[in-house]
Amino acid sequence: MRHQNATAYRFLAPYLLIFAIFWVWPIIDSFMISFQATRTVPWRFAPGFNWGRLIGDPAFFNALKNTLLILVIQVPVMISLAIVMAVLLNSPLLKARGLFRFAFFAPVVVGEVAYSAVFRLMFNLNFGIINKLLNSVGLPSVDWFSNVTPAMAVIMIAVTWRWAGYNAIILLAGLQSIPEDVYEAATLDRVSKLKQFFYITLPLLKPIILFCAVLSIIGTMQLFTEPFLITERGGPGGGTETLGLLLYRQGFRSLNFGYASAIAYTMAGLAIAISLVQIWLTREPK
Amino acid sequence: MAAVTLKNVVKRFGVFEVVHGADIDINDGEFVVFVGPSGCGKSTLLRMIAGLEDISGGEIAIGGKLVNDVEPADRGIAMVFQSYALYPHMTVEQNLSFGLRMTGNAKADTDRRVKRAAEILRITELMKRRPRQLSGGQRQRVAIGRAIVREPQVFLFDEPLSNLDAELRVQMRVEISRLHKELGVTMIYVTHDQTEAMTLADRIVVLNGGDIEQIGAPLDLYDDPANRFVAGFVGSPKMNFLAAKVVGADGGAAIVELANHGGARLRKPLADVPPAAGTDVVLGVRPEHFFDAGQGDCDIAVKADVAEHLGSVSYVYANAGANAGANIGANTGQEELIIEREASRHRANGDHLVVSIKAGRSLLFDTTGARIR
Repeated sequence: MRHQNATAYRFLAPYLLIFAIFWVWPIIDSFMISFQATRTVPWRFAPGFNWGRLIGDPAFFNALKNTLLILVIQVPVMISLAIVMAVLLNSPLLKARGLFRFAFFAPVVVGEVAYSAVFRLMFNLNFGIINKLLNSVGLPSVDWFSNVTPAMAVIMIAVTWRWAGYNAIILLAGLQSIPEDVYEAATLDRVSKLKQFFYITLPLLKPIILFCAVLSIIGTMQLFTEPFLITERGGPGGGTETLGLLLYRQGFRSLNFGYASAIAYTMAGLAIAISLVQIWLTREPK
Repeated sequence: MAAVTLKNVVKRFGVFEVVHGADIDINDGEFVVFVGPSGCGKSTLLRMIAGLEDISGGEIAIGGKLVNDVEPADRGIAMVFQSYALYPHMTVEQNLSFGLRMTGNAKADTDRRVKRAAEILRITELMKRRPRQLSGGQRQRVAIGRAIVREPQVFLFDEPLSNLDAELRVQMRVEISRLHKELGVTMIYVTHDQTEAMTLADRIVVLNGGDIEQIGAPLDLYDDPANRFVAGFVGSPKMNFLAAKVVGADGGAAIVELANHGGARLRKPLADVPPAAGTDVVLGVRPEHFFDAGQGDCDIAVKADVAEHLGSVSYVYANAGANAGANIGANTGQEELIIEREASRHRANGDHLVVSIKAGRSLLFDTTGARIR
């Protein structure tokens, strides 16, 4: 048995080596870098340099506020929408279910740059379809990218469009695992469809909803593409700058890798903490 | 309590007709079992009574009231599902009371009904547990409890014991029988297990391929089956069917020659005119209706392939040809027979055996399976 194990590890060795060099080591190294002052060469060990700056940096708190704002508004809206979409997809009344399933999933496979460009066009002040639609019902045009609130709304709408279908497909799998006879028993018990949804579907779907929520929290904490491409590097005036964008700016524009590493670890820590709170809040009663 | 009447009930799934005009009258307080092989339409029939399946034609009445277009919850029925269909996130107590709570039933009345059901089924100590913390038998009790709290006019059981092990199945069978006596309500029970049907039912409805083959009391079906299907389905081990030919008539009796037993002949008295000589027929003999050599009307010799010893009796699976005496038929090895014999440790593979068939303990069928009486 020991010999067999050794053989197995020899087969795994090439992968483990690459994994260690390109995955594990950067994680450890970046953690160590976060304790170094990296604005001047040579880098020197200064534990409070980056972490101390983090605590008093208005740019960090602005990015944190924006990220949490998106998290608090966009994630619940997207998950709720995904649940509704999953229930509709699961309806026996729905025709061409396969087509709808594909359509809902399609945004995930669209290239990020292409989708960002389309959203920029759609929300363009002068010839975007959204303003045209607003005008057609008598509402004034909105300058989506020049004001913080509309710009933030565009980010949230874009992220929701891209990921709601993905979550709906995961939730649909959960819905399909709920046995039909549970609903039949409830029907015989004179429980209305709406009550069946709230008292049977939602509780039984809870583990899947939690899974989607944790995935979304992690995704939102890392949000980068949309504020980078759609609102042009977190504009207007840093109004949509997220932690991911701040990290990029510090690490790859200012080449301040120590501070970027500290931001990265803060993002990871926050994602873990929020996810743990979420899991604790929705734990199964004993 | 209520009677249930089905008149020419038809069910189609698309172009496929799965129930072809069922007519059944179930009396108030009766225990009726729908039995048949997989795909015979028995569960579909039950689900149509429950209202979980629409009916494609005919009429269903419960308590004298036509319920074709009545919602399932308003039919006065409660159903116990094969998979229990318990709400996994609720405790036993919540499972029992869920329906009543959701419909705004008074709390005192809900509590009373739940307590009564728990006492009847002896699950009072399980009330705070969740379904995953219960054994199969306990889950089944909770499922039945959920039906009891509805205080229905008719109980519907859809193969409720098929997920339980053999011992528990026997135990729950007795419980359900006790429950029927205690509550005195109409019960309709679906199973593919003829032993469950025989032990539980006041009357059995035997279904096959969407048709009702026969309706009757368990022993009536056993003693007087309407056709070969019912004869084969009711009774365990199943009835033996021996290929035969009518070779003549003797008064009101047909002289039947067993095709695979070296010309052994049996005089089978019939109420109807015997079939013409040369007609192919099938002789049905139950395993327990083979007698010792010379004690019946026709002896046949067989060779035992396998013997199963159950303690009280032995079942001999006989097939291969045997060299028999000149005056009795020899098995030419074309038919497998199951023969019940007195328990014997010495009965073994390859034994030669001579058994006897009594005309009064055998049944005659034509080649379409219809009974020749």
